[in-house]
Amino acid sequence: MRALSRVPPAALLLGPLVLLLVVFFSAPLALMLGISFTRESFGQISWQPTLLQYARFFSDTFYLGVLWDTLVLGAITTAAALVMGYPLAWHLARTTSRWKPVLLVFVLSPLLVGIVIRCYGWMILLADRGLVNAMLIDGGWRAKPLPLMYNRFGVTVALLHVFLPFMVLSLTGVLKRLDPHLLEAAMTLGASPLRAFLEVTLPLSLPGILAGSLLVFSLAISSFVVPILLGGFKVQVLPMIIYEQMLSVFDWPFGAANAFVLLVLSVALIALYIRATERALRGIR
Amino acid sequence: MLRAVTAAVYAFLLLPLVVVVLAAFNAGNYFTFPPQGFSLKWFANFFARREFMQALWLSTHLGVATAALSVLIGLPAAVALVRGRFRGRDGLNAFVMSPLLLPQILTGVAMLQFFTMLGWAQTYWALLIGHVVVTAPYVIRTASATLYHFDPALEEAAQSLGASPLRAFFEVTLGVIKPGVVAGAIFAFAISFDNFTLSLFLTAAGLTPLPIELFAYLKYSFDPTAAAVSAFAIGVVLVLVLGIARLMGLEEFAGF
Repeated sequence: MRALSRVPPAALLLGPLVLLLVVFFSAPLALMLGISFTRESFGQISWQPTLLQYARFFSDTFYLGVLWDTLVLGAITTAAALVMGYPLAWHLARTTSRWKPVLLVFVLSPLLVGIVIRCYGWMILLADRGLVNAMLIDGGWRAKPLPLMYNRFGVTVALLHVFLPFMVLSLTGVLKRLDPHLLEAAMTLGASPLRAFLEVTLPLSLPGILAGSLLVFSLAISSFVVPILLGGFKVQVLPMIIYEQMLSVFDWPFGAANAFVLLVLSVALIALYIRATERALRGIR
Repeated sequence: MLRAVTAAVYAFLLLPLVVVVLAAFNAGNYFTFPPQGFSLKWFANFFARREFMQALWLSTHLGVATAALSVLIGLPAAVALVRGRFRGRDGLNAFVMSPLLLPQILTGVAMLQFFTMLGWAQTYWALLIGHVVVTAPYVIRTASATLYHFDPALEEAAQSLGASPLRAFFEVTLGVIKPGVVAGAIFAFAISFDNFTLSLFLTAAGLTPLPIELFAYLKYSFDPTAAAVSAFAIGVVLVLVLGIARLMGLEEFAGF
């Protein structure tokens, strides 16, 4: 008992969680990294270090193409989320409406409603016999359904929907801390609302823009549910290759190598994200 | 102009959810607008299917267990991280939050390999541990948010009046920060109940949570039974969000 009382309380309080994370989070990731440097033969992993899996990935134009497509899809989604999220975040940060809690529920509930359900909503809307096409055909605007799903368009729309709340929340935090007097000052000094926005608001919200964009980009490039359901396996992305290698082909070393490529990308983005949010929290002075 | 754009973005966020709910109550096989009559047959279908009921039951008790465990190990950690003055605190804070930042597909792949090598793959325990790893950080976040607002002088007062540190914590501090802790637990339940990515790598036949069952169903059929399942889950989440809103306010919860 005396030995126990000498343990610093912080260690005691943090112990269970840190132990859980080291054993069931860090160790698995380390194992995954290890497996990515092995080869697989007849369902067995042979534990001799090899760069084979990475050579396979980086020498095949198919996989490099998939990587490129993944990044492009992430970039388009991020740009669209920024354009759509900014006005929404501005409104949320400034509104004094008594409906504000309801609006917050609007923004937060898609975040909590599962990704499969949100994809299904878009499938009902965008399918060949879906709501949008039915309206277009019944209204006499189109004879044949528009291809809205099982292509990049459908995937991008659903990705945008799934990750837009993250952009909105990142931006709202920064915009809320922005002093409204600065904008008023600019306008009383003769700046047009547009100019005041471009020269005052936008630069000051840059940390929020950066943080939100990095977050959305890293989430978008690691999503595979959306590409599977709305792309119908016609839009290939890196996480889908990982999913197939792990759960269909059972080539774990190659799946692990693909995952590690994604991991390196993600960690780099996370590092940038942390720096951006730290700057956002401090504010630009 | 700005108002119109803002309204359009709100509509965009809500549209697919509204459509799912409307489709669930719609009588026809394909959803058209306006709906073709009101029907509960898709819900009847959902509740009549054994695999969906088993999945719902699994998701429910998995969510409860996940929430309980997340609080049990997350709350003490939050106390240490908010109150503690020790070296490496910022580093530990970042480490503890890292499961939130890392894409879940990576955590899922890594855990699948790890649990397989341990021989624990495809067990309830693996699924539960996986969920706790990704929900505990959320509990820490909500608990920390309320802990920052708590005045430690209250706890000190209790101690100077003769309460043991443990008793002072349970009877004073916990009483004050309870809303944040409960909100965190609800959030952990919601995250677990709707988790797809991580679960996909840790499930097995007979061990499929609701989102995985829904995904499997959607891959082969497109009928509105899926809409009924989804509408049900949306209803559950909505109730949970309203609960969180009452407990700690959504603004603080959202972190701004």
